[in-house]
Amino acid sequence: MAPPVIEVSGLRKTYRGALRSSRITALDGIDFTVAAGEMFGLLGPNGAGKTTTVKILLDLTRPTGGEARVGGRPAGDPESRRRVGYLPEGHKIPGYLTARQTLSIFGRMSGMEKKDIERRGVELLEKLRIGKWIDIRVKKYSKGMTQRLGLACALIHSPNVLLLDEPTDGVDPVGRREIRDLLQEEAKNGTAVLLNSHLLSEIELTCDRVAVLRNGKVAAFGRVDELTRRAETYKLVASPIDDALLAAFRETGAGVERVNGHVILSVDGVAHLNALVDKLRAGGGLLSELAPVRSTLEDVFVDLVKAPSVEAPQ
Amino acid sequence: MKVLVANLEDVMREAAARWTLIAYFLLSSIFILIFASAINLDIVDGALAGAKLFGKEVEMNDTISIEKLVLGFESGFSAVLYFLCTFLAVFATAHLVPRMQEKGTIDLYLSRPVPRVKLILSRYVAGLILAGSNVFYLIGAIWLIVMWKTHVFHPRFFLAGAVIMFIIATLMAFAFLVGVITSSTAVSIMTTYGLFFFGLMLVGHDRIAAAVSKEWQATVINTLYWIVPKTAELGGAVVAFVSGGQAPERLAQQLTWSPFLSTAAFGVASLVLASWLFTRKEF
Repeated sequence: MAPPVIEVSGLRKTYRGALRSSRITALDGIDFTVAAGEMFGLLGPNGAGKTTTVKILLDLTRPTGGEARVGGRPAGDPESRRRVGYLPEGHKIPGYLTARQTLSIFGRMSGMEKKDIERRGVELLEKLRIGKWIDIRVKKYSKGMTQRLGLACALIHSPNVLLLDEPTDGVDPVGRREIRDLLQEEAKNGTAVLLNSHLLSEIELTCDRVAVLRNGKVAAFGRVDELTRRAETYKLVASPIDDALLAAFRETGAGVERVNGHVILSVDGVAHLNALVDKLRAGGGLLSELAPVRSTLEDVFVDLVKAPSVEAPQ
Repeated sequence: MKVLVANLEDVMREAAARWTLIAYFLLSSIFILIFASAINLDIVDGALAGAKLFGKEVEMNDTISIEKLVLGFESGFSAVLYFLCTFLAVFATAHLVPRMQEKGTIDLYLSRPVPRVKLILSRYVAGLILAGSNVFYLIGAIWLIVMWKTHVFHPRFFLAGAVIMFIIATLMAFAFLVGVITSSTAVSIMTTYGLFFFGLMLVGHDRIAAAVSKEWQATVINTLYWIVPKTAELGGAVVAFVSGGQAPERLAQQLTWSPFLSTAAFGVASLVLASWLFTRKEF
């Protein structure tokens, strides 16, 4: 695996109230890494600590404990942001600027030369399908167009780390697909992408690994396909499946549920599964499909969020 | 340098978009046009033979030397500019920090690889350039009109611009400090104007201290006098510098370095504190 570009270790953040007597623990010791070329999703209900984590990575806020590093440098070092692109949720690009002027200002602040900003800006805006609007003031843009311009600002200096907070907010479905493709292209080119989003379907389609935060802790962590796989649950499509066969399955201790012409089996392992298949074949049945059952990421997320306590991730 | 240029572009474009820049220059231009058209002078052999103000003849008893007239006019007018330019400048630049600190905007700035001190200082310099462009437009235009009408070359008038920019720089530093703390344009404007007038009042600190009943109150008044910008003394300095050797005696006697040094110290302290607080602030 490529070396980590984002490293978070034992990160803690406590917010104090105005009178200093009240405290809110936003982060309670979280750990994760994001490698170059990886797309990583950060999920959690409102107030779980996702945005706080991103803000610490950008030195917008300081941790109470633990460490955050970007590109091998501490998050508090301005140089750590040299190759970081950030798209905040609810960003406010001044309405009096055009796209060209916006990219000029923020590109210069990232140390780019004017001619490079011009070239890269035109290229990005064309990719994001707002090239024709380059000299129109941002106040005339729709929400989706403003979001695309925000993404262009994040990408203008060819970053190798992208921190994106709800990048497809307000964007139409076709646009979401285009943004997803753009981000996947960036990841292929070695950019580490950390994505905050409530659109779990987007995360599921886009990200390699995710961390689910809950009450400031990591409630689940891992590859999307591992998290969504229901352990030891399989879908069986075969014929004929009669009540006698299902009863025989149940006698072995398997959980059996008939659903719309197929059967959902809960077994104790691969050996148990094979034993059931043998019973089916011995009874003259023909197996046409056998596949592990997956939850959606939304199912996993809701189950975790509603769980009574946070278990340490495996 | 790129950060300064980026901030300058941002500040100027915002000023243009919010009509601040246009209003700034429009007001100044109206002022200049009225001045240019209102005064008509008859100069004979280097002396003023007659004058018209808004088309009406001005009664002259003796033939007045045109140089003296120009000197008197420009030194008096510089006092007017001192107030006018300072108030306009504070009003036009007080929003620079509060707007930058708005949620959704500050994230875009701070996510760039720019140290916070550099960010706020470059914004400060951009604000000074915005204010300075109007100050020198106004002073330059008045100077040219006077020179055109009187044929008198009096470059000391530009010293008024230097002193005015000095007080603007100090007050802007204070506005930046208030802006960092409160994120409010309105509070920045009110407190900065308040500071300006407080400084004017404190020129009589000796009499105020003598009038109060308690020793500690007198100490507070005198201490405040030394801390707060010397807006009254600097206004006198503007007139004294422009007048040169012809300055009224009471003004010439007051022209020392201490108002400049203490005002500069206040400005520097405000800017340093603003920068320090900005680096520590969490967003």
